[in-house]
Amino acid sequence: MRHSVRRSIAARAATVTAAFVVLALAAPLALRSQAEAAEVKLLNVSYDPTRELYQEINAAFAKAWKAKSGDTVTISQSHGGSGKQARTVLDGLEADVVTLALAYDIDAIAQGGLLPRNWQTRLPQNSCPYTSTVVFLVRKGNPKGIKDWEDLARPGIAVVTPNPKTSGGARWNYLAAWAYALRKPGGDEAKARALVAGIFKNVPVLDTGARGATVTFVERGIGDVLIAWENEAILAERDLGKGKFQIVVPSSSILAEPPVAVVDKVANKHGTKALAQAYLEFLYTPEAQAIAAKHYYRPRAKAAADQAVVSFPALTLYTIDEVFGGWAKAQAAHFGDGGVFDQITETGK
Amino acid sequence: MEIRRGSAGIWMGLAMSAWIFGGAVARAEDPPAAPEADAPADPAARIETLEERLRILERKEELAREQAAEKAKSAASVAVGKDGFSIRSADGAASLRIRGYVQADAQAALHDEDLPAIDTFVLRRVRPIFEGGVGRFFEFKLMPDFGAGTTVLQDAFMDWKFGKSARLRAGKFKSPVGLERLQSATDLLFVVREAPTNLVPNRDLGLLMHGEPWEGLLVWDAGILNGVPDGGSADGDVSDGKDGEARLFVLPWKRTAIGALQGLGFGMAATYGHNDGTPRATGLSTYKTPGGLDSFAWRNDGTQATAPTAAGTTVADGRRVRVAPQASWFAGRFGSLLELVKVDQELTLGGTTDDLENRAWGVTVSCLLTDDTTSYKGVTPKRPYDPGAHQWGAFEVVARSGALRVDDDAFPIFADPARAARVARDRGLGFNWYLNRNFRIMLDYIETRFDGGAAAGADRPDEQVLLNRLQVAW
Repeated sequence: MRHSVRRSIAARAATVTAAFVVLALAAPLALRSQAEAAEVKLLNVSYDPTRELYQEINAAFAKAWKAKSGDTVTISQSHGGSGKQARTVLDGLEADVVTLALAYDIDAIAQGGLLPRNWQTRLPQNSCPYTSTVVFLVRKGNPKGIKDWEDLARPGIAVVTPNPKTSGGARWNYLAAWAYALRKPGGDEAKARALVAGIFKNVPVLDTGARGATVTFVERGIGDVLIAWENEAILAERDLGKGKFQIVVPSSSILAEPPVAVVDKVANKHGTKALAQAYLEFLYTPEAQAIAAKHYYRPRAKAAADQAVVSFPALTLYTIDEVFGGWAKAQAAHFGDGGVFDQITETGK
Repeated sequence: MEIRRGSAGIWMGLAMSAWIFGGAVARAEDPPAAPEADAPADPAARIETLEERLRILERKEELAREQAAEKAKSAASVAVGKDGFSIRSADGAASLRIRGYVQADAQAALHDEDLPAIDTFVLRRVRPIFEGGVGRFFEFKLMPDFGAGTTVLQDAFMDWKFGKSARLRAGKFKSPVGLERLQSATDLLFVVREAPTNLVPNRDLGLLMHGEPWEGLLVWDAGILNGVPDGGSADGDVSDGKDGEARLFVLPWKRTAIGALQGLGFGMAATYGHNDGTPRATGLSTYKTPGGLDSFAWRNDGTQATAPTAAGTTVADGRRVRVAPQASWFAGRFGSLLELVKVDQELTLGGTTDDLENRAWGVTVSCLLTDDTTSYKGVTPKRPYDPGAHQWGAFEVVARSGALRVDDDAFPIFADPARAARVARDRGLGFNWYLNRNFRIMLDYIETRFDGGAAAGADRPDEQVLLNRLQVAW
C-alpha cells in the first residue's frame, strides 16, 4: 500500500479546507438569520397597574437612548399580579428587568439564582425610584360613609381588593389594614386579625391583580369600596370614571415601595446588561420622575413631587420594616401556605 | 273569590283550604327569619342587591375564563394518533415527536440445495424514532435500530434551519447519494432495495448543507463526510481522507397543473474522496444478493500480501469517485424508480494497484390496483381496511430488474473468480397490501442470476428467494 506523506498532508489540507467551505457557506446564512432574530430589545416584567406609566417611560427612554447611542431599542412589557409575575419569571419568562410591587417578589427571583441577593443595593433608595400608598376609592358621595379601615369590616359593605396570593398590591392592602389595627391605641395582633378577617369576609370577588380589581369596581360596578394603590385610585377618580368616584384617605396607611432590578442571568444571556442597567437608572432622572408624578406615583425627586398635577395627601405611613420586621417575615407569617391569610379565608368559608 | 259548585269546585275548595291551612302550619313551625343584612325589604333596594349579586357572578365567571385562557397559553399540547405521540410547548418553540416502525420479515430460498441460504424469520428493522425541535431554528432526530438482535444508532443528527431553502446538518445521517437508499425503509416498493444501493453509501457522519426550495421543486445537498465503503455505514473513519458529496434532484413540473408530470424528477449525485484501507479495515464492501448472500467479495484473508499472489487482502488505496444519475416518476396509480451508479476506486493488493470501475443499474415499477395514489413517500389508502364497511385498503403490484457488474480487472488478483461473481442480474415481482397508512403486507419473488462466482469459471447457481414482510409504522 502506498501511503505517501505528501498525499496524506494534502488530503488533510483538502479535508480541512472542504469543512471550512461548508461552514463558510453556512455562516452568512447563519449570520443573516441571527441578525433577523436578534433585535435590540428589552422585556420589562412589571406588576398590574403600571401599564400607562411604562408606556410613557419606555417611549422617553428609547428616545433618550437613541440620542445618546444611536441604537434603536424596543421595550416590551408584561403586566400582571406581582407574585404571579415573579413566578412566571422563575418559570422561564426571559425578563431583562423586573419592576414589581414589592421587594419580596424580587427576592424570590434572586433565590432562584437569576440575580444577586444584594440586588436592592445596586440602585438608589433601595432600588425604589417611586413610592405609593394605599387609599380607598368609593362611589361619589360616599353613600356608605366610609372613613377609615374599620368601616370596611362593617356588615353590608362590599370591599374590592385583589388576592394577596397573586397580587403585590393586595399584600400592601392587607398589611396596611393590619398595621392600622395594630398601631391604633389599644391595638394588638388579635384585633388586627379580626379587622382583616372582617374585611376579607366582605370581599365578593378576588381578582388576581390590582388592575383587575379596578376593573371590577369601576367598570363592572361591583362593591362599595376599592382598596387601591393611590395611583390607581387617582387614575380612576380623574380619568376612568370622572365624577363617579371619590378618594377617601384613611388615617394611616403603608408606605408602598415598588422596587426595580436587572435580571442579571437573562440580561447577560441576551447581551443587554448595560442597556437594562441604563433603563433602570433612567427611572431616577428628572424626566422619568416627572412622568411618574404625572401617572400619580409619588416620585423620589422633590422637584417632581412639587410640580405634580395632584397633591399627594399627607397621612401616617408605616413601613414594612417598622411594623412587620421586613418582607420575609411578613410573607412567611401572613401569605405563606397556612399563613394568616389562608387561616382567615378558610375560616370564613 | 267565587267557588263553583259541583265536583270540580269541591276539589278546588279543598285544595285551597289545604294550602291556607298548610301555610299557616308551616309559618308557625319555621323559626323566625333573621333579618338579612343584604336582603332589604324595600323592593328597589332588593333589586339592586340582586343585580349586584348577578354582577359579582358574572365577574367571577369572567375571571375564571381569563385564568383558564392564561393557563392554556402555557400549557403544552399532547397529541397521540396515527402519526405517533407528540408533545409541543405552548409557544411552539419546543416539540418532541415519538414514532417508529417495525418490519417483521420472512425469507425462503427456493431450490437452495447448492446455496448456503437459510430460510428464516427476522425482525429486519425495529426503529423507534425521536425527533423534534428546540427553538425556532433547530431540529433533531435520533433513531436507534434493534433489528436482527443488534443495536445500532442509525440516525443521530441536528439541523440548523436558515429558512425553507437551506439547513446545516451535523451528525450521522443518510448520505445524499442513492435514490432508493434515500427513500424511507417504510416506503420501499420491494422488501429489499435494488442492485445500485449496493454501491452507494448508507449512513455516514459529517456536515451537510441541504434544502428543498420552491416547495420541493429542487432538492440540493452538499457536504463533507467521513466516507464509507459501498453500501456501508460507519460511526467513525478508518483514514484521514474525507468524502465530498453532492446531489441535485429536480422535479420541474411539480408546481404546474400538469398532473401526470408533477411527480417526474431526475437528478445526479456524486461523491469524491480518498479512501485508504488496511487489512483490518479494508475500506471496501461485499455486495449482497436480495437473499442476503454474498454475490461479490474482495480477497480478504486478513494478511497483507507483498506480492501479487492469490492471497492477501485487497484494500482501498486512493481515490474513490461515485456518480449516480437517477430519476423517478410517480403519477396517479403508477410509480417508477430508475438508478445507475458507477464507482471508481483505486485499490491495492500486494504490489498491485489498479483503478477499478464497478457499475449497477436498477429499475422498479409499480401499479396500484385500487383507486389510490402512489408517491416516492409511499401510499395512503383512500379506503383503509375495514371489513365491516367493505373497505380493504390498497393493493399494488410491483416489478423490478437490475444488475451489478464488477470490473473484469478485479479478477483474479483482487477477487477470487471461484467465489465472487462478475455480474449479478436480478428481476422480481411483488405484491403490496396497504391496509392503512400504518400497516402493510409485502410479498416478493426475486430471482438473481450470476456470471461467474463458481469454481472453474462456472456460474454460481441462481438464487430464487421469496420475501415476505409485515410492517407497522406510525
